[in-house]
Amino acid sequence: MNGAYQLTPLAEATPGMVLGEVLRDGNGNVLLAQGAVLTEGMLASLARHGIDLLPILDAVRAEAPVDPALVQERLDRVFRKHERGNHGDWATGILRQYIEDFRLDREVGP
Amino acid sequence: MSMLAPEQLAQSVQDLPSLPAVVMELLGSIEQENIDISVLAKKVSYDQALTAKTLRLANSSSYGLQVKVATIQQAITFLGFQTTRNLITAAAVTGCFPNGKCPGFNDKAFWRHSIATAVCARSLARRLRFNQDVAFTAGLLHDIGRLVLVTGHPLAYGEALAWRRRHDGEWLEAERAVLGIDHVDAGVALAEHWNFSDTMRQAIAFHHAPETPGAGFLAAIVHVANAVVHALDLAGEEDELVPALSSIAWDAMGLNEDAYLDLFRETEQQLEEMSAILMA
Repeated sequence: MNGAYQLTPLAEATPGMVLGEVLRDGNGNVLLAQGAVLTEGMLASLARHGIDLLPILDAVRAEAPVDPALVQERLDRVFRKHERGNHGDWATGILRQYIEDFRLDREVGP
Repeated sequence: MSMLAPEQLAQSVQDLPSLPAVVMELLGSIEQENIDISVLAKKVSYDQALTAKTLRLANSSSYGLQVKVATIQQAITFLGFQTTRNLITAAAVTGCFPNGKCPGFNDKAFWRHSIATAVCARSLARRLRFNQDVAFTAGLLHDIGRLVLVTGHPLAYGEALAWRRRHDGEWLEAERAVLGIDHVDAGVALAEHWNFSDTMRQAIAFHHAPETPGAGFLAAIVHVANAVVHALDLAGEEDELVPALSSIAWDAMGLNEDAYLDLFRETEQQLEEMSAILMA
């Protein structure tokens, strides 16, 4: 993982972001490894260590805009052997719905 | 048509490149607790390439270590023996088959699918409180029979691939139609030859038929992980196809949509990092 990274203020970092470089404290001690995926707990602990900038991997920040029509077309192709609403194949139908919600970033109710 | 006789399958399993002896020992002991860890760690350390790959895996973000480990012994200390053993296995197996032998077979897509299924099966197992390391290895190896066929019978397998393209069918159908046997048969034969545990063998044998009585929970996990990974379209195959998902296996997971959305995210993230290491 050697992608470009951007120094990001701790306050703007969110769980799920990936470190593009090893993170050290003022004494050079390693706090987190390169490639570490940030969690709520890590962010809290970094604040205690006096860290205010994080090297966040660009790929995760800058997600390419997706064309929903193309995404839907590709999903239809991948699921081409499964008819919608086929009750005998309901599990595949649910998986398809979840995958569509995921890929098309749909709001999922509680 | 190039039907393969059972003896030919047995022969191609015999002719496969062998794994390092220490990895065979690890595979055979995957569910044993009482083996001498320090001796095994030492044996692995003699194989430098294997050690280097294992340590890169251990230091990847999927395992969330706050310090870098530099030796197999350290990896065992921080990750535990089970996890380290599975990383060693993954590092060895992904390096042991020759690439590019069979026309039309996409080695890269094969490994991306296998690695993605491994990380997805591990994430599922964590949510279900099932052994994560066993799930990871089973996911990684579920389709290994395809490599047995590709390596032992590249031309015949090429015909099966062509059949699949013509009929837009599943691998299993194409293999049965052209070769008379499929990658499940080949995988089971390899599992015996490589001395996999019974649980692992069952998972390979039943990952397409998890509702078979006695198939076991691991087969259901691998079945669902396999379908999820096909649906996420991660391998890079133009003619990617989602197989039918067993409603019994799906029910057995008992997870809600939020859990699946997390699972999808986790699978995608970990695939990139793991495949960069394993396919290097």
